[in-house]
Amino acid sequence: MNNDVVISFQNVSKEYKLYSSNRARLLGIFFKRVPYKKKLAVNDVSFTVKRGESVALFGKNGAGKSTILKMITGVTYPTTGEIRVNGRVSALLELTSGFDQEFSGRENIYLKGHILGLKDSEISALEEEIIEFSELEEYIDQPVRTYSSGMKSRLGFAINVNIRPEILIVDEALSVGDADFKNKCKEKVNEIINNENVTLLFVTHQKSVAEEFCKRGIVLKKGKLKFDGEINEAIEKYVSIYKKKKNK
Amino acid sequence: MSYINLLKENLKEHKDNYVQIFRLSIADLKKTYHGAALGWFWAIVKPVVSIFVYWFAIEIGLRKGGDVGDYPFILWLIAGMVPWFYMNELITGGTECIRKYSYLVTKMKYPIMTIPTFTNISKFLVNAILVVVVVLIFWICGYPPSIYLLQLPFYMILMFLFFNAWGLFAGMVSAIGKDFSNLVKSFVTAVFWLSGVLWDVEKLAHSNLFFKIFFMINPITYFCYGFRNCFVYKKWFFEDIESLCCILGLYLILGFLSLWAYKKLRKEIPDVL
Repeated sequence: MNNDVVISFQNVSKEYKLYSSNRARLLGIFFKRVPYKKKLAVNDVSFTVKRGESVALFGKNGAGKSTILKMITGVTYPTTGEIRVNGRVSALLELTSGFDQEFSGRENIYLKGHILGLKDSEISALEEEIIEFSELEEYIDQPVRTYSSGMKSRLGFAINVNIRPEILIVDEALSVGDADFKNKCKEKVNEIINNENVTLLFVTHQKSVAEEFCKRGIVLKKGKLKFDGEINEAIEKYVSIYKKKKNK
Repeated sequence: MSYINLLKENLKEHKDNYVQIFRLSIADLKKTYHGAALGWFWAIVKPVVSIFVYWFAIEIGLRKGGDVGDYPFILWLIAGMVPWFYMNELITGGTECIRKYSYLVTKMKYPIMTIPTFTNISKFLVNAILVVVVVLIFWICGYPPSIYLLQLPFYMILMFLFFNAWGLFAGMVSAIGKDFSNLVKSFVTAVFWLSGVLWDVEKLAHSNLFFKIFFMINPITYFCYGFRNCFVYKKWFFEDIESLCCILGLYLILGFLSLWAYKKLRKEIPDVL
């Protein structure tokens, strides 16, 4: 694989098996005959992203954006097709989850860092920066289960942008907190993507924000790739697909 | 052939992630006793209370029990109960482990095969402390450590490996449907009473071939009596090669099942959890 290509999708499809009940799913492990519905969330999608690119993903709910992002992070697997990812992925998916509820914010910073393969010394170097960014102050030593959803999102955002990712995935995460914090997040993301080596994947419904960060756009509809190209054209395409639906 | 590859993959994941595994097991340990003012104290209180209750019910209430060789019944009971506490935690805990750590599966890329391992290690450490306490109790009661105690690590490691395979199998299956963990939960008490943790299986095993085989292929019985061999009976593990072979055979079956479950469910679990 070319070293410049950090993400490559080749004819990737993802099918979810929907069983009628939990019992059917359990039986489905042992017997092939148990019936289930198939839901094709991603349908034969191919694209590549080069190092340093910033790409926006557009699509209505259920278009398959989140599934694609999850496959990039390596959390779920494609049913068919091949995915290659080259570099440390930091995903801002569902910021409020992915914490251990019983641990304090500080312990969660270490936990996440360890899982991403950072050393203790590397994490402690980033620790202050993360805490300062998250604006949690003395709450940082309280268990995460006592945090409000805003606090969790702030901490999640702070951890993910500060651990020096090579591929940053932002899924509607910039709608976190008040206006000041939002601006701070945008600045931070800008700072990160100005670094040549960081690749950004961005999912949003706010076209203006996407325009600000990204030069390339991908439009998805019902799991299929509809358009891949320049950001302005992608937005136009996205709007027109949406309009057509409305006129019907 | 693919199972050999899976086994290799399993070992490789453990080798590559051993630092994380150790850290997460410490974290798991902390979490278990977190949020309780007395913290670690409960790790000792729980077993003490249950041993006392069983001892009281059998020795005082039912007027059964009685000395085993030179040893009073309660010491015999303790020697078998201690591995049971560990096994009990792992039979249920292993079943729950992947559900408990679902965020490691669904929110980030983390090697799933190591989840049972680190939950297992944290329980193992607690049990190791308990074992030390038991050695001290025996000493205080006038039974100083004998050379047979040297085989304790053998039994503990065998137990660890056995329930690690169990954790992977049960954890994977119960992640798909809760039924399996309910099944396990409802049978755990039955297993406890049927396996001779509280009463001596020897007589029954000698009376009937069915029972003999039943106890021989029962891992719970094997480990309880393994500990008793160290503390009370003063027997070496290689003196009963038949039972050892049975356990190793069971281990192979369980190992195979756990890899089967992994292979079958690895890709499905993130979607259903």
